[in-house]
Amino acid sequence: MTQPVEKRTVDMQIIGDWVEPHTRVLDLGCGRGELLDYLVQTKHVSALGVDLDFAKVTACVHRGVPAYQGEMIACMASFPARHFDRVICSRTVQELHAPATVIAEALRVARSVTVGFVNHGFWKNRLDLLVRGRKARNAVYTTAWAESRPANPVSVADFEDFCAAEGIRITRRAHLMGDWKTPCPALPNLLAGYALYDLTR
Amino acid sequence: MTDETQAPAAHASTPPYLAADDVGLVAPQDFVYPRAFTFKNGQELTGLTLRYETYGTLNATRDNAVLICHALSGNHHAAGWHTPADKKPGWWNNLIGPGKAVDTRRFFVICANVPGGCSGSTGPSSLNPATGEAYGLRFPALTILDMVRAQKLLLDHLGVAELHTVIGGSMGGMTAMLFAIEFPRFTRRLLAMATTAREGAQAIAFNEVGRQAIMQDPAWLNGDYARDGGPRVGLAIARMMAHITYLSDASMDRKFGRRTIQSREQSPQLRAELAQQPATADFNLQFEVESYLRHQGQTFINRFDANSYLYITRALDQFDLDHAYGSLENAFAPVLAESLVVGFTSDWLFPPEQNRLITQALLRAGKRASYAELATDLGHDSFLLESEELYALIRGFLERAPAQTLDFAI
Repeated sequence: MTQPVEKRTVDMQIIGDWVEPHTRVLDLGCGRGELLDYLVQTKHVSALGVDLDFAKVTACVHRGVPAYQGEMIACMASFPARHFDRVICSRTVQELHAPATVIAEALRVARSVTVGFVNHGFWKNRLDLLVRGRKARNAVYTTAWAESRPANPVSVADFEDFCAAEGIRITRRAHLMGDWKTPCPALPNLLAGYALYDLTR
Repeated sequence: MTDETQAPAAHASTPPYLAADDVGLVAPQDFVYPRAFTFKNGQELTGLTLRYETYGTLNATRDNAVLICHALSGNHHAAGWHTPADKKPGWWNNLIGPGKAVDTRRFFVICANVPGGCSGSTGPSSLNPATGEAYGLRFPALTILDMVRAQKLLLDHLGVAELHTVIGGSMGGMTAMLFAIEFPRFTRRLLAMATTAREGAQAIAFNEVGRQAIMQDPAWLNGDYARDGGPRVGLAIARMMAHITYLSDASMDRKFGRRTIQSREQSPQLRAELAQQPATADFNLQFEVESYLRHQGQTFINRFDANSYLYITRALDQFDLDHAYGSLENAFAPVLAESLVVGFTSDWLFPPEQNRLITQALLRAGKRASYAELATDLGHDSFLLESEELYALIRGFLERAPAQTLDFAI
């Protein structure tokens, strides 16, 4: 099975393709700043990360990526509308307490919002529940339920319904197969392991 | 370290100033500004002296200087030891030294006592050369801006071409921010900790209680007290009260709880003090925390000048970046430095929120700025904490990871 470390790289490259050079980018849940460092180096963006963790912010500071330790909604609330060109919310959306609020706030402070998430409608995830009757365990979700952070299992269909209901325009999609590399040709809710969306109002 | 196995006795007696990561014995120096120094309020002062210390060496390009800005009761003695007999090193010795977070093998570190202070720089207790008497309240009104401008003169005198970083906590954070605002081309990095862009009413209120304790002391004499006298009771009370605001409920509870002085071994000094107490009073020393605060007050009056306390607390209260520049974003508009602001969860004097506001304004003004918040229960003084996490953050900010082409296999 594909290693999660490689999967992260794929995510990075697609987001890198979507990001315009010399723009202002905010990364929600920036971790150690790998994605932003990559965007600074390849697209010369003006970067800011947000993360709750002191050690992760330390790692960002050490690699020269500006980072703000704090809660992402409060952080975004301190910026005027359209302060950023793009907000990225990649691989964190399923763990948000209030995903609708975060996406709405991101669409206020930026022209476009990139959302990436693991598709829980992916057939293997369905099988875990249907056949095994258990929480999905795979290269992405390596831990048992008791060791896992709270997550909203969102699917491609869920997300597209949400965007339609909220009047959010989807300008770009990337659906990847279970290897997180091969583009998914059809039936993304069933066949895509990972989904990336570019949104705007 | 190498002696550990061979000569444990010798190792045990190795004085701390000889430790490999200590700057060792240091001597303060004086810089006397040859011209008249004009304070923000327009008053002039001739012979302005700044006492300072330096650690490390200024490099050939004269751009490895790190300025350390001290807090209200601090001074120029940030690191090292003045004599081998010193009981304590400089106040930020845990941070500054060879191989420490502020590495004196890389950086030329400077710390100066602020004007208005009382540790060797010209302040209210200095003699006015024109009259031969102490300035007292005739010393010019003091602002943080005056501290910044005076220290810039010192840096010019030392031949510093630009500051690699300006660092400060509390009042030092205000000074550091103002350095980046007033001398943007000169200041490449700004590290401000446990600070604020403007004191709230609570912080001003605490300072006012301290000032009243001093000014209501009959020995204050409108500031014209003798060098060896003065409002010692008032100054001690001011310090006792202020010291509480530097700690936290949790840290005081851990350190003292409700322990009484009867429950611990008593030093001869404490026994003497207890013997002097009136036998009848119920308000004698009872709790350890009382004894600790009295000690803090007594130590302070031997090293600090009451008029300096008035002047510097007033400078703190007057500091208001929002008001002085129209808005905080306007204040930060000229900044070219990359900034790091650090808040501490248990700081209730300059709480995390006030540090966040600084960072948010820097970011709104389009500056490169980071905010980190350390979870501690030690209150405002947390910025002086011995914490590997804090050291890693500061070192990471000062010594950027070498630029590398990203390894896509991460």
